[in-house]
Amino acid sequence: MQTDLTHGAPVASARNVSKRYGATQALAAVSLDVFPGEVLGIVGHNGAGKSTLMRVLSGMERIDDGTLSICGRSDPDRHGYPGVRMSFQEGSLAAELCVFENVFLSSRQDIDAKRWRTMASRMVETRLTEIFPDHGIDPSDYVDDLTLSERQMVEIARASLSEDLALLILDEPTESLGGKDVETFYDYVRALCRSGKAIILVSHRLTEVLAVSDRIGVMKEGRIVSMHKARNESETSLLRAMGGEVLQETKRAGNAAATKEMRPIVLEVPMQTVEGAPTRITARKGEIVGLAGIAGQGQEQVLDRLWRRNRDVRIEGGLAYVPGDRQKSGILPIWSVARNLSISAMAGLSRFGVRQMAAETALVTDWVARLSVRGGAEAPITSLSGGNQQKVIVARAFCSDAETILLDDPFRGVDIHTKAELYQMIKAEAEAGRSIIWYSSENAEMQHCDRAYVLRRGLVAGELAGAEISDEHIIGLSFAEARESTT
Amino acid sequence: MTSQTTRTNLFGITFPKGRVRRLLPALLTLVALVLILLICGTLQPRIWSQIGFTLIFSPIVALAIASMAQMVMMSIGDIDLGVGFFVGMVTTIAATLLRDTPVFGALALIGSVLAYAALGAIVQLRGVPSLIATLGASFIWLGIGMVILPVPGGTAPGWLSAYVFWTPPFGIPVPLVTMAVATAITWWMMQRSGLGVRFRTLGSNPAALARAGGSLVVTRMLAYGVVGCLGVAAGLALTGEIGGGDVNAVPGYTLTTVAAVILGGGMFTGGRAVAWGTLAGAVTLGLLTVLLTLLNLSSNLQPAVQGGIVIAVLAGRLLVERVAR
Repeated sequence: MQTDLTHGAPVASARNVSKRYGATQALAAVSLDVFPGEVLGIVGHNGAGKSTLMRVLSGMERIDDGTLSICGRSDPDRHGYPGVRMSFQEGSLAAELCVFENVFLSSRQDIDAKRWRTMASRMVETRLTEIFPDHGIDPSDYVDDLTLSERQMVEIARASLSEDLALLILDEPTESLGGKDVETFYDYVRALCRSGKAIILVSHRLTEVLAVSDRIGVMKEGRIVSMHKARNESETSLLRAMGGEVLQETKRAGNAAATKEMRPIVLEVPMQTVEGAPTRITARKGEIVGLAGIAGQGQEQVLDRLWRRNRDVRIEGGLAYVPGDRQKSGILPIWSVARNLSISAMAGLSRFGVRQMAAETALVTDWVARLSVRGGAEAPITSLSGGNQQKVIVARAFCSDAETILLDDPFRGVDIHTKAELYQMIKAEAEAGRSIIWYSSENAEMQHCDRAYVLRRGLVAGELAGAEISDEHIIGLSFAEARESTT
Repeated sequence: MTSQTTRTNLFGITFPKGRVRRLLPALLTLVALVLILLICGTLQPRIWSQIGFTLIFSPIVALAIASMAQMVMMSIGDIDLGVGFFVGMVTTIAATLLRDTPVFGALALIGSVLAYAALGAIVQLRGVPSLIATLGASFIWLGIGMVILPVPGGTAPGWLSAYVFWTPPFGIPVPLVTMAVATAITWWMMQRSGLGVRFRTLGSNPAALARAGGSLVVTRMLAYGVVGCLGVAAGLALTGEIGGGDVNAVPGYTLTTVAAVILGGGMFTGGRAVAWGTLAGAVTLGLLTVLLTLLNLSSNLQPAVQGGIVIAVLAGRLLVERVAR
């Protein structure tokens, strides 16, 4: 087995590495070895120290204490450690630039300055085709025209383009990718691994980590609490290792759905089925309606039509929108948690256009307590971890008096505990009479919906209700049309 | 599937959609430029000659180069509110020091470029908004210019006048040569060199630059240094044009250059570098002055008309961009 071949000198080794940010102990005496030819999975909830550890290993962050030896060096230079490359989850491409210019930016050392345009184009084109055969990205495309999943593909391809690559760090590489791309991507990861490279895979998708990794490190509160052989573990055993205090979701009562049938339809979006017949996406008052399927198959367009109140859609009452791309459209970075929360409720609470500070404070205090946002109401929003920021953004939508809430895959990269809290909140708000339209790229999340529409190429591939909503059914519908078109 | 969403077809050739979106504003401006030029030519047919062209384009050269400086500034996401007085200050140095003691003059000009680079360091390291830093610097430029030449005067260095009065072969007007060369160099630097990629990345997403191992401070300093160099070039061009030095010659450049960049397809948010578009924008704004003069309109009206056109073009551009998306 691969696992048994991984000995010899480690590519990277950390001994008692510590790192503090102000009051937060981000890493507490972490020791770790990464060997050539292995995939090391790292799991843990947000704030466990995964990102910090990865930034330390890639040389972007100095350590306070401990020793590092990475590719034979103990100190990074301006470009980090030679041979170590990291693929980020988001935000490391320049949107105004072309794909090949972004590649040139990070691979300047490997590119001949005279012919950099053709060289960078060719390099990224080849690598993209190698990892994602159906990518459809042209090197001269501008990044701001690419979808989230295409940007992720570029980011992954770009990180793997290094002549002296020894250690590749992948931070949530598949969060934005759809089914087939995930498969071909992991095939590539395995091939890299066979050629003797070391790979660190940081992901919340436990099944993927289990399937691809040789060893899995579980992080909690800035430490690696345990190291497992992947083949001996299951999703539940990993969950237990991560803390095991995952909240039990209350099972959906069968008759709850039935009573919801009686409620009025508050929203209607005309659509087409994959067979070309007209159909509608509808939501009743108090209903949670899912938009499922492979990422980027038109779910976001449905939300967009609703949010822009296109002429062909019918919506009753106000709307609130929870964006998925939180770095870009979610937070107001220079404001505090309180102001980020109350912005959407402000107008509803004001009297004659004058803000009612007391009412706002009460509202904010209530939500901060309900969500247990670390740092409290007055903390600057940017000081929060990603998961906590996301809580604030979701709560902001629920703070408003909107009757319909649109969720645009808002829980990407959020840890399991936060997710469980947010699911409870969504359910509670639906009980209280709000309608939720929820797009998610994670099939498991769809099981919290009353009904779910599976989309394929902007068309409705099928509708699932209640207990029918399952991973198998969603996957079946997601690919149904593809199977037809090939025969 | 994806190729349909990111690419667009024009006259049988496919382009990345983003490129079309980036070029369209400049094309619109170019159309406006040609229209204005045709109207000018109808009103005064004598402009259709080497001398005629030289006369109408000469006053635009310095504006075009200063607009290049502003374009570089805006490509990194900053705005220069001091370019007008900086160009004015350069004319005072050029008309005195540079003519009398070329070595000291050259050193003074190099010093002013270094001062710009230092300004970039302040913006990056201290987090001072570029608007404030360059506005503050503009008063320093004004003060230095006042000390060197309290009243307009001095004389352009001989070689500069000689260049301005040079008659290139084939009836090519010299201002067009100067503008084309300055634009070509700026374009090459922004689009074809690694430096330009770093500048635009800094404007588009500084985190991307940092993660790729680039230094934000060095990059911003280099960009400001390039702005300083282009400002010096604009000042020299203006000295040749007006034949002397005057720190108060062109305070209006500060905002006109911003308008030229916007007309050319630039953005306040940074990341976009549009050298040829900026040239079209600067020439359009310059020709507008010529047109208004030919129409015997009061020069007091010119800023208002320019402003009206900028707003109209921007509104039209938003419309076109929405269609292009």
